[in-house]
Amino acid sequence: MKLLSRIKYINNLLETGEVSCVELTKKYLDSIEKENKILNAYVKITQETALKTAKKVDEKISKGEKLLPLEGIPMSLKDNMSTKDIETTCCSNILKGYVPIYNATVWDIIKNQNAVLLGKTNMDEFAMGSSCETSCFGGALNPHDIKHVAGGSSGGAASSVAGNLAVYGLGSDTGGSIRQPASFCGLVGFKPTYGAVSRYGLIAYASSLDQIGPIASCVEDAAIIYDAISDYDSKDSTSRGSRTKTANSLNKCIKGIKIGIAKEYFEGIRDDIKSSIQEAVKVYEDLGAEIVHVDLPQIKYALPVYYIIACAEASSNLGRYDGIRYGYRTSFYSDVDDMICKTRSEGFGKEVQRRIMLGTYVLSAGYYDAYYKKAQKLRGSIVKAFKNVFDSCDVMLAPTVPTTAFELNFTSKDPIETYMTDICTVPVNIAGLPAVSIPCGFDDKGLPIGMQLIGNSFEDAVILNAAYQYEHQVKNKIYKQTDIGVRI
Amino acid sequence: MITHEDILKIAKLAKLSVKETEIEQLTKDMSEIIKFADTINTAVEDKDEEFDDINNIVNAYHEDEVIKSFDKEEILKNSESVGNGCFVVKKHVNRR
Repeated sequence: MKLLSRIKYINNLLETGEVSCVELTKKYLDSIEKENKILNAYVKITQETALKTAKKVDEKISKGEKLLPLEGIPMSLKDNMSTKDIETTCCSNILKGYVPIYNATVWDIIKNQNAVLLGKTNMDEFAMGSSCETSCFGGALNPHDIKHVAGGSSGGAASSVAGNLAVYGLGSDTGGSIRQPASFCGLVGFKPTYGAVSRYGLIAYASSLDQIGPIASCVEDAAIIYDAISDYDSKDSTSRGSRTKTANSLNKCIKGIKIGIAKEYFEGIRDDIKSSIQEAVKVYEDLGAEIVHVDLPQIKYALPVYYIIACAEASSNLGRYDGIRYGYRTSFYSDVDDMICKTRSEGFGKEVQRRIMLGTYVLSAGYYDAYYKKAQKLRGSIVKAFKNVFDSCDVMLAPTVPTTAFELNFTSKDPIETYMTDICTVPVNIAGLPAVSIPCGFDDKGLPIGMQLIGNSFEDAVILNAAYQYEHQVKNKIYKQTDIGVRI
Repeated sequence: MITHEDILKIAKLAKLSVKETEIEQLTKDMSEIIKFADTINTAVEDKDEEFDDINNIVNAYHEDEVIKSFDKEEILKNSESVGNGCFVVKKHVNRR
């Protein structure tokens, strides 16, 4: 069985001259040309940028120079990360045609490493959704079965990697938007500790929850990417940078490590997913880990707390779209106020408008104390509860999503039913903790099942090592190649 | 319970124009969502717990100095309507 492309493997091919970076890039671009019509993973292809960078990499190789870890590796960026001179839309009609005049810090970092940007990936509009179907470009499909969604909101990023139309993608995770699509597409999705990766240039949804991270085909790749992008950035007032490098600490023995299991995470989870995770628990026990049972009753409030806080922040963050400085502007209006209202109603999709309305409601006079203030207090309780849990264990193990990938047209149903699917992913964002979703099996339709390892604040290296040990133990049994995309 | 009037009031605050035909469905959706949000009010409040910031970040001050900013032309290029180095909007202040 062939596996998806991996960073070190490709880096070796380039350095040994088995393939030139231009040849490799063309292979990816050709595959995208062919397969993206079906998968809809990309909403913009950046062929010129990609080939220009690839040529630079080939020149470096011809001089016998050593490549940086991400140099020459073809990759994708979610369309909410600002790319100077390259259209960035957040998959919203309100930002169609918007061309940023500066780069997001993450893009600046990897661009300086000569990362080969193949294109910008599809996402739920303003990252508000769990299926990628609120995108104004239509949803991204799951390469494992195109009758199913790739997940969301970073669905395009996951689809691009699972379909091998990119070696890795950068996504963003506000309530599970990296981990959930990674779980649906059988990939590794890593949401770092809040503050570890700069948010500068990431188009804001909910600033106290948003975090950029990698979607990759193995744990080692996620660690390599994290090491490259996690750095202190004075342009992001909440930036802290990383405390440790992770890729070189992936071989640590986990004998004696305490893995916490909270029963609250398993309520309402499909039986086959529970069984897959129980199998993973056995693997960890064989590796010498100690399983401890922990209580986390506060997470039953995590979902409403998340939606109140996220929507409140969104209503404020999205106030900037007024049609004056950038983005769409309505054609017919009577005065400025009418112009702003019409611009926003015509430019934003239904789900975005619904979340702005909810956010406005919970912040409005008479409701602020009952909703926003109360949610903030509960957020404090959830942070404290996780802190206590990590006094008795090193990492937590939980499902990533209660189900496997949804069938198409999922979001057209009841909004609450859609929100409920985020139940396992949002607590981590509320507490600002790191979590990585890794594949742990398949359902009876052959769709991937994911589980997540959650760590204490800034212990990103600990969870990546635990994830790597599991992956190493079960080898390739948890990964499945699709018939799509580039074969190297 | 969310009413049609509530929806119109929130829409006005949020600067969204809601069509007559959408009010019914929006009221229904919002009522469901608020009912769901209301579940937090069943939680016993931890009186000591206040949330400020996850990583206990304090304000980061920098020197008050003029640094290189973006070029004005660059900033204006994403706007639908510009003139004389400014964003152009319809006149909205009337002389008394």
